[in-house]
Amino acid sequence: MQPPPHTSFWIALLVGIASGSVGPFILLRRMALVGDALSHVALPGIALALIYRFDPFYGVIAFLIAAAFLVFWLEGRSRVPPDAIVGLLFTASLAIGILMIPNSDVIESLFGAFPVLSLPLLLAILLTAAVLSALCFVLAKRFLFLIVSPDLARVHGLGRGYDLALLLIFAMIVALGIKLVGTLLMGALTIIPASIAKNLAQSMRRYVILSAIFGGAISVAGVWVAESFRFLPGPAIVLLGVGIFVVSLPFARRKTA
Amino acid sequence: MTDDAVLNVEDLSVTLDGLPVLQNVSFTLQQGEAFAVIGPNGAGKTVLFRALLGLLPHTGLARWRPDVKIGYVPQRFSVDRSAPISALEFFLLQSPNFWRPSAAFTNQLDQELNLMGLHQSVLRKGLGELSGGETQRVLIASALLQKPSVLLLDEPTAAVDAGFEDTVYTLLHRVQTERGTALLLISHDLSVVYRYAQRVLCLNKSVVCQGPPVEALNPQALATLYGEASFYHHEH
Repeated sequence: MQPPPHTSFWIALLVGIASGSVGPFILLRRMALVGDALSHVALPGIALALIYRFDPFYGVIAFLIAAAFLVFWLEGRSRVPPDAIVGLLFTASLAIGILMIPNSDVIESLFGAFPVLSLPLLLAILLTAAVLSALCFVLAKRFLFLIVSPDLARVHGLGRGYDLALLLIFAMIVALGIKLVGTLLMGALTIIPASIAKNLAQSMRRYVILSAIFGGAISVAGVWVAESFRFLPGPAIVLLGVGIFVVSLPFARRKTA
Repeated sequence: MTDDAVLNVEDLSVTLDGLPVLQNVSFTLQQGEAFAVIGPNGAGKTVLFRALLGLLPHTGLARWRPDVKIGYVPQRFSVDRSAPISALEFFLLQSPNFWRPSAAFTNQLDQELNLMGLHQSVLRKGLGELSGGETQRVLIASALLQKPSVLLLDEPTAAVDAGFEDTVYTLLHRVQTERGTALLLISHDLSVVYRYAQRVLCLNKSVVCQGPPVEALNPQALATLYGEASFYHHEH
């Protein structure tokens, strides 16, 4: 089967934009670490897919959506973010996944690879990424309201359904990017563009737009670097992003000065 | 419930984690009046507000007039100071369109800023850059955007620098008299209660006293509320 041309570039662009669009809300909700750990849950899904010979994408999405519901349920039970429980459970699932995955597939599962996809699956991934990005912009006001003042937001009729919506959007975006970036690093791709944009933006509207642009640009540039120098795409994208973050740091100081 | 009542509370009780934090609270809030809730720390004042807003489960009755519009003014923003959110965007949370607000919305916002004595330039500031007084006036202006018939204020001057507390209360008094908005406010400042509130409710898990401040806040009531070494109001 001849894979569609530029598969990795298209995925990098659209999933990168989606990661950048959801990142600011995850960051402002102080869920960066929970979000990062969430991506590890994908590993047992990949393992089951490899054992039972179905496309790992479906295993990933099922496990991540289940994890999103779990985080939502845990948040509702306590006012304190249940970091420890999430850390333990998700690290355990990483360990289980590693034990189940055949050695030859471990590196690719953890750090990503240039995906080989059928055209329909590629189109489905691109379309979903576009829809999820758009949803972040449409729901931005409600997500922000719940971040700035949860009580006030509830008085205005915004319920916990929006918390769940944010988690599900986040989990699906992570699922879309895992083939390219890998389970260990995909969580970081949602955090890095938002962290860079936070250093540069003065307002929320610019913050979300900048973060989406950085998400797309860093991912595409990372894939280009990886293809040119025969690196794995995941580490190339993440390192490039971290490099830009370091460059953006002086701007944050100037902003608050 | 009388025709002028905005809110009717009967035997309201709240239990949190098995502990009673409010017991059998009853009072009525009239249209256009300023009603203060006072009490020591941990007396259940904020719990009472949260129960009235439907944010906490409770027993007993908290009945709002059906056509009432409630404006709630929390003490502060829940977001950290480094978050890049401008004051304008905080107001836009109430706009039907967050990305491109309508001219009608912007005009109304100008009116509320004027009423609160805030300059347009405040809109460009980040939420973390606002002073205590600006934060409080931004929060009140935002609540006013809904044209509420009642404003709930949780210690509106808690984070305001000394000297500016009066400004906030003068502005609230203007809202009350110019628009007929009822004010239900938690306060720790007895002089404010005497000056601006028509009626007061003293709370320490249950109701200790209730009525016009000059009558209700007698030495016995204050002693029960704050302990024997309490402070007294001096008539000037």
